[in-house]
Amino acid sequence: MKRRLFVASSLAAALAGCDRVVNSINDSSAVHKVIDSAEKLNHVVIGTHGMAKLYRDSDITWDFPTNGLATPSDATYRALMDTRFASYRLPVGGLVEQPATFNLAQLRALTTINQVTRHDCVEGWSVIGRWAGVPLGSILKLVRPKPEARYVVFYSYDRDDDGSQFYGSLDLVQAAHPQTQLALDLNGKPIDPDHGGPVRLRIPTQLAYKSTKWVRRIELVSSFASIFQGKGGYWEDRGYEWYAGI
Amino acid sequence: MEGTANPRDLTAVPAEAPGRVVYRHTVVTRLTHWLMFVSLAVLLMSGLQIFNASPNLDASDKSDPAHRVLAIGDVQNSAGATVGTTEIFGHTFTTTGVLGYGDDGQGGQSARAFPGWLTFPAYQDLASGRRWHFFFAWVFVFCGAAYLLSSALRKDLALLILRPSDLPKMWPMQAYYFKLRKEPPNHGKYNPLQKAGYTGLLFILTPFVIVTGLALAPGIDAIAGPLTVLLGGRQFARSWHFLSMLLLTGFFFGHVFLVASTGVINNMRSMTLGTYRLGKHEGTGP
Repeated sequence: MKRRLFVASSLAAALAGCDRVVNSINDSSAVHKVIDSAEKLNHVVIGTHGMAKLYRDSDITWDFPTNGLATPSDATYRALMDTRFASYRLPVGGLVEQPATFNLAQLRALTTINQVTRHDCVEGWSVIGRWAGVPLGSILKLVRPKPEARYVVFYSYDRDDDGSQFYGSLDLVQAAHPQTQLALDLNGKPIDPDHGGPVRLRIPTQLAYKSTKWVRRIELVSSFASIFQGKGGYWEDRGYEWYAGI
Repeated sequence: MEGTANPRDLTAVPAEAPGRVVYRHTVVTRLTHWLMFVSLAVLLMSGLQIFNASPNLDASDKSDPAHRVLAIGDVQNSAGATVGTTEIFGHTFTTTGVLGYGDDGQGGQSARAFPGWLTFPAYQDLASGRRWHFFFAWVFVFCGAAYLLSSALRKDLALLILRPSDLPKMWPMQAYYFKLRKEPPNHGKYNPLQKAGYTGLLFILTPFVIVTGLALAPGIDAIAGPLTVLLGGRQFARSWHFLSMLLLTGFFFGHVFLVASTGVINNMRSMTLGTYRLGKHEGTGP
């Protein structure tokens, strides 16, 4: 019995030792510099080509999950909710020839995408929904990006528990993809506050963490290196890939 | 044992020369073998790390509990303790300590599908798990391509591929291993069972594990939609990817068993330094 206990506790100690070794390898920023290089290869090889699959209404997931982050507690956002988003305004600025601000009626007037597509979470699950909204490309055509503009940055109303603001970014190729949209409706109804309403990004050719919810402001920039922690998005600042086609 | 089509092949010596030391594995074979071993280990462990973020597998396109094939989770028992559970095709098993509840990778215990000692990194970190997985997926693919190319150029690959004429020799070879036969059936450099195993590994299982992983990616789905459809959809592809991981792991243990049972030091030497001491009836290894 003692012997068995000895074997078991030695095994547990060995495994705990393995855990420590593996974790310390992962904690090395030099190691991450090497392994993170795979993202560039993924971006070059997979890129943003083709079209996400279109589904039928019968494929729709009606009880759409929210993945924890429900309605933002931001005071400005709560005030907008009280007006049923009548006072919502979306400024699009930065490196553009013609900065513009859109209200919801103006966005709805531009609405041309209405597609049933799959929403792939980085965690591994997926849901299918009907998304209607404005092609991001048509907004860009209206504001006319300056030649030095390379990325479109989306700032959210939401913050995490530490107060960090959610944001994300796409390059101009991803932004101009015909299925990339500022979504206004989910499954036939205006997107509710839990699912990113009134306006959220929706890019079905990448993982869903790229689809910034509760969009408050759009800015075109030449580089995102000076925005927050410089990786191009809230999740990117926390280790996730900027290119999320895989 | 038959001769060889390639006169430069040092491994092809008559079986009548036991004890002779030969040069068995080229530097490309040895280097890619060990790099792919490391890659597979990291791919397996980082893959389990990724799996932990959503520890369910469905046989459907979108997530659908009605088509669930595997679910690892945890429940509170009547005494208030957390119990790890694993549900396979609707049958639930208690798997506390290993699956559902166990090593959190930081010296403690927590609710977690696969335990810390099986994941890379050990603590729960999906972002890092993905980084490791994609980096070593590329290492694996490059090494696999280099091995196949070098093996094809040496005309060794052709000797490894299973052919219809090998099929009737498979049972006699197995019978020889079971000591039901004194002599192995007449065969070339690789025996019919080796050919079956490596042909399945190189041309069926490995392409399958790569393809099922790629089918999970929305960017790939947009380029190669029919691939994902063929596999039954994204969640189904995730289930196939998991199954192919199990098969590859099974192959690995079979491989290690054969390495160990046919002279572990001699085999390790040949795969590391290249030189191998021949025994009776052999010119090859596991």
